[in-house]
Amino acid sequence: MEIKQERDGDVVIVRLSGRLDSSAASSAEERLGAALAGEPPRMAIDMSGLDYISSAGLRVLLVLAKKVQQQKGKVALGGLVDNVREVFAVSGFDSIFAIEPDSAAAVAAVR
Amino acid sequence: MLSFPEEIVLLLLDETRGEFIPLPESVFAIVMSGAALMDLALHNRIDTDLEKMIVVDRTPLGDDILDDVLAGLGKANAKLDITDALYDVAVAAEAYRAKALKRLIAHGVLNEENGRFLWVFRTRRYPVIDNTEQQEVRARLRQVLLTDEIPDPRDVVLICLVDACALLGFVLSEDELDAVTPRVEQLRKMDLIGQAVTRAASETEAIIKFAATTM
Repeated sequence: MEIKQERDGDVVIVRLSGRLDSSAASSAEERLGAALAGEPPRMAIDMSGLDYISSAGLRVLLVLAKKVQQQKGKVALGGLVDNVREVFAVSGFDSIFAIEPDSAAAVAAVR
Repeated sequence: MLSFPEEIVLLLLDETRGEFIPLPESVFAIVMSGAALMDLALHNRIDTDLEKMIVVDRTPLGDDILDDVLAGLGKANAKLDITDALYDVAVAAEAYRAKALKRLIAHGVLNEENGRFLWVFRTRRYPVIDNTEQQEVRARLRQVLLTDEIPDPRDVVLICLVDACALLGFVLSEDELDAVTPRVEQLRKMDLIGQAVTRAASETEAIIKFAATTM
């Protein structure tokens, strides 16, 4: 699992690639939490390189969403591949997150 | 913090009478099994996706219920069917209830009272001595269900378990219950083991109802 971070103005863009499962969950939670900069935080997550997500990975994103809500910030996901999008639909996570077609749209959604 | 098997045993006790709220044994078994599996998932011992469950870490947690369940799950990295695992663990649900009760008594949450009914039948009650945990869980569930607050993973598990036991009526009024139905449906989907618990508990209840109407 690889996590890259960049900034576009007041928006933090996080690019996830590989597999977000139990083996990656702990470090992903730590890094995503640390990336929540700004008051309120604005984060766009580029998921186009993420080809697998398990329940442990979903919990990482749930914890992140909760932190963002507590800080009255915004978070959006972009570029979900089909199997990850299916996991979001089945688990109802698509009702928690703003899901955009790509990274640029996710940035625009939180701006 | 209590484990989910302890939580569910506590929530199923009528606080004033110290007796278990009626629930078909087979439904209880599924819920107890789900409680243990979801606890193991939150401790990063198992992981799931839409197709399978995998044991990712066999390190014991020092919890006699969870460690027993973990030891009984297939080989490391073997792909397990979530529903099969749920039914396998459910076989020992009564033994896990006894262990959970013993721990709750040892922690000073419950008392055990033995008596007799009509001087013949033995009875056993578990009056709640310290209801702090029950009150906190109910307050937490109300907060998550009645607002748009994003739940934490532990809230999601509790909602799945409480809903599968049909205990939400002990947390919310009838009007509130009607109003939050879509919210409950949204939240109980968020844990894949919880989804399997909901399905299995509903199927079991349907079988019980069918059997009752055809006898």
